[in-house]
Amino acid sequence: MSGQRLIPVPSGLVHPAGVSRRGFLGGAAVGVGGALATDMRGVQGLRAEEIAGELRRGEKHVILLWLAGGASQLETWDPKPGAKTGGPFAAIPTNVSGIQVSELLPKLAQRMHLTAVIRSLNTKIADHGGGADLMERGRPDDPGLRYPDLGAVVAKELGRLESTVPDYVSLYTSTEGRRKGTSGFLGARYAPLFLAENMAPPNTGLHERLTAAEHQDRAALRDLLSKRFTAEHRGSTVGSLNSAYQRVQGMMASAGLFNIEQEPAEVRARYGPTQFGEQCLIARRLVEAGVPFVKVARAWWDSHGQNFETHLELCADLDHCMSVLLDDLQQRGLLEKTLVITLGEFGRTPGINASLGRDHFASAWSCSLSGMGIRGGVVHGATDAEGQTVKDGEASAADLFATILQAVGIDHTHEYMVGSRPTPLADFGSQPIRSVLV
Amino acid sequence: MLPDPFSIFPLRAVTGSVVRCDFAPVCRLLLVLALFGPLPCAAAQTADPDPVAVLIDTAIDQQNTAAGITIAPQADPDTLLRRTTLDLAGRIPTSRERDWYLQLPAETRQQQLVDRLMQLPDFEFHLRNSLDEMLLPERPNDGEFREYLLTAVRERRPWSRMFREMLLAAPAEGPDKGAAQFVRSRVRELDDLTNDTAVLFFGVNISCAKCHDHPLVADWKQDHYYGMQAFFHRTFTSKKNLILEKPFGGVKFRTTAGADRDAVLMFLNGAVVTDATPTYSDEEKKSAEEQIRRLEREDDAQPVPVSFSPRQALADTALADQQQQYLARNIINRTWARLVGTGFVDPPDQMHSGNPASHPELLQSLGTDLVTHDYDLRRLIRSIVLTKAYARASIWTTETPLPAAQTFAVAVARPLTPRQLSASLLIATRTSESWPAVDEVTARPEEWQKRRTDLENQANGWMREFEQPSRDFQIAVDEALFFSNNDRVQNDLLRDGGDRLVNSLKTAETPQQAARLLWTVACSREPAEADTQVVVDWFARAAQRREADVQALLWAVLAGAEFRFNH
Repeated sequence: MSGQRLIPVPSGLVHPAGVSRRGFLGGAAVGVGGALATDMRGVQGLRAEEIAGELRRGEKHVILLWLAGGASQLETWDPKPGAKTGGPFAAIPTNVSGIQVSELLPKLAQRMHLTAVIRSLNTKIADHGGGADLMERGRPDDPGLRYPDLGAVVAKELGRLESTVPDYVSLYTSTEGRRKGTSGFLGARYAPLFLAENMAPPNTGLHERLTAAEHQDRAALRDLLSKRFTAEHRGSTVGSLNSAYQRVQGMMASAGLFNIEQEPAEVRARYGPTQFGEQCLIARRLVEAGVPFVKVARAWWDSHGQNFETHLELCADLDHCMSVLLDDLQQRGLLEKTLVITLGEFGRTPGINASLGRDHFASAWSCSLSGMGIRGGVVHGATDAEGQTVKDGEASAADLFATILQAVGIDHTHEYMVGSRPTPLADFGSQPIRSVLV
Repeated sequence: MLPDPFSIFPLRAVTGSVVRCDFAPVCRLLLVLALFGPLPCAAAQTADPDPVAVLIDTAIDQQNTAAGITIAPQADPDTLLRRTTLDLAGRIPTSRERDWYLQLPAETRQQQLVDRLMQLPDFEFHLRNSLDEMLLPERPNDGEFREYLLTAVRERRPWSRMFREMLLAAPAEGPDKGAAQFVRSRVRELDDLTNDTAVLFFGVNISCAKCHDHPLVADWKQDHYYGMQAFFHRTFTSKKNLILEKPFGGVKFRTTAGADRDAVLMFLNGAVVTDATPTYSDEEKKSAEEQIRRLEREDDAQPVPVSFSPRQALADTALADQQQQYLARNIINRTWARLVGTGFVDPPDQMHSGNPASHPELLQSLGTDLVTHDYDLRRLIRSIVLTKAYARASIWTTETPLPAAQTFAVAVARPLTPRQLSASLLIATRTSESWPAVDEVTARPEEWQKRRTDLENQANGWMREFEQPSRDFQIAVDEALFFSNNDRVQNDLLRDGGDRLVNSLKTAETPQQAARLLWTVACSREPAEADTQVVVDWFARAAQRREADVQALLWAVLAGAEFRFNH
């Protein structure tokens, strides 16, 4: 935002905001210290076996590479060379014997040992809105009940309640198929920090007419007055206001995470100059700082015409950026704590239409899972010779949701009570795909 | 407590006339009666108890006494002024309104306040907004629908009539056109239309009964779900965006046992409506279907004659339901929940035998009362805000544990809605003199109408920055970031200028005076000693009261919990 400037972040990491220079109220009431104290009180209130889990919060992550518009499984994870539906591209061997992928993914082919591919999604809904709703939330919406999407569930389950970093970041810069994401019945606390116009999150820069010290003094004064009220008025809704303000300094400091200028030139060069590459680098920076869920949407795969040209271009970007991301996470010891997913609203028809395109197709398509909790070098399920139907290991959106949650250690059968209605994290009857899980 | 008459009238005049009298005590009494009897302030000294308010309080008190539950004392006058004004006028009181209110006799204060607020355009705006938030939560700025609701509220239309207008969605001109938006915004999703109608008008969520008989609620079977859906199944939109019905057609569904069944038109109480659709020949059906397709594609297509309207049948059936009074009880429960924090039935969409009301007989009496009084929402709202239960303190200082929400033994701090918060921010950042005194508003209502309309429009420009509160609402960090760093907050809300509170605070002679100004304008109360001390300390940091320090002080109060909640 114009007229705003970023608070410098020491050594590129989120750091508790400093104490006011003028030290109104002795500086003791300033945000981040208070947040930690509250957290510790929270931990003391938990049973012993929950404490370990609570302390691990903020240490597991999911990066969702969202292939908006629907990528073709035949040009990515499930090639059918030689079949009449196969198209012009060949299949290539990977570094895992017996597994082949499209020749458009040569770099990922060499990292197949990190990745499990599911080739048997049958999700039935083949319009963009309905398909995206289904794949983001793991189930169709019910009337009267708005389900949270994967990011919101992961943010709630893996994020720290008073985290100083955002816990669900959604990056999307193309206008096509732009979707904000939704926290549904989990409420605004878990809504995504959605970045569409700029690479920096809104309202995180210090106003030009305030110094950092003034900003913090003012916050301390607010805290003092507000806590007099909350001391006398109980309830989590009342308490949530002060919790929200306690996160402000941290969120402002974490704005620097979106600034890839802070990365060494060599690292930036590896990710490359594309927008998707830069956003993948931001995703890594966020994960490193403790953000539980980052979605990077890459558009627009909706290749009703010129499918092969489209995939030639987009697959090259995906292949390069995801490979660099996996390497970078691995080198930093983050891959064992981070699940990287490629997914879209659906796949594309095996049949090639008159415009040399492929249309929407949700009955036999693919996605990939790499990193945390995933058995790499595995393919689950299979389609028939032309890719028209699932032949083996059929998986639904709910099954995939359950698999993703299990991979990062979340019990997919855990239930939220929505009013008086028990609602499991993954839909009733879903089964995690065990063969891709460690 | 009665006001001391000698503090209102010059003491000397009264005593001067009685000291020479030999029958001083009698004369004094007669004199007092003669002097004060006919005066309006004395006539209003005992408030007429509102019978419905008494009914509510009696039921709640009886249950609490029986359960040995301690109740919180009544809130102090300032708290009650702020609460009632937020609930009836959709904004905080101005400090001039507070001056007026504080000089009212204590016995009648709440009633006079309520009756004044309900006469203001503020009440109409706020009731409209509340109904809008309930009925069209996903479209917070649907102009046509909002205009319809405002008109209906202004004309004091019964809730039963509004329900019928919204459900029938008949083509109309003028403001009534917007009534169709309830159906129109949901017509693409038959499930949403079915379930939202059941949830919002009847307090019943039957969506779990779509795929199987409701697993938890014995009352709801698949027959009920599809029975409700059958009322909407024929509804479609024409190219001209009119809500129409097909002349025939029904819902088929598959039971969990695998049997295919035709749904009957069944209301929630089990009442089955006879489908009076005439028999159409195949030829007639074909031609009607062709006509419908044309209506969906072409602007000037002729409407298809319809002899039986399922949606009208639903409206008739719901209004004929004297036994369970779904329509009446739902709006009572939701209005009570909006004003008191929790419904008699909670959650409000779970009105069924497995989730009984906290005060079932009371809810039944209120239902009958509402039906016999022509579904008059104003009457209902007035009664609720005149109860003692409404007026309790929200602070719980007793040693015993906080009573459960449905005892209504203590008030709850409720987050302001986006519109309440926006309008309140605009009032709290202006000087007290920039708002008219109460007698000026009474003398020139048209001026206040204009002023309040401006305020409503300005508030519209801020409301999108705030989230509509939902159940177990948590305030998002986005709001805190917006308040902390956004240009508009700094440059507009906290702006210095002639009519701005920042200016008054800057020019106040002492920090104590600044504290008094700030708290009376923004918090509708006198500052406590500790509040004044904070202001003294705050200004002591700097040699002079700079604009920035004053802005920071105002900001800290506006961003705090006391301002953010209705308590």
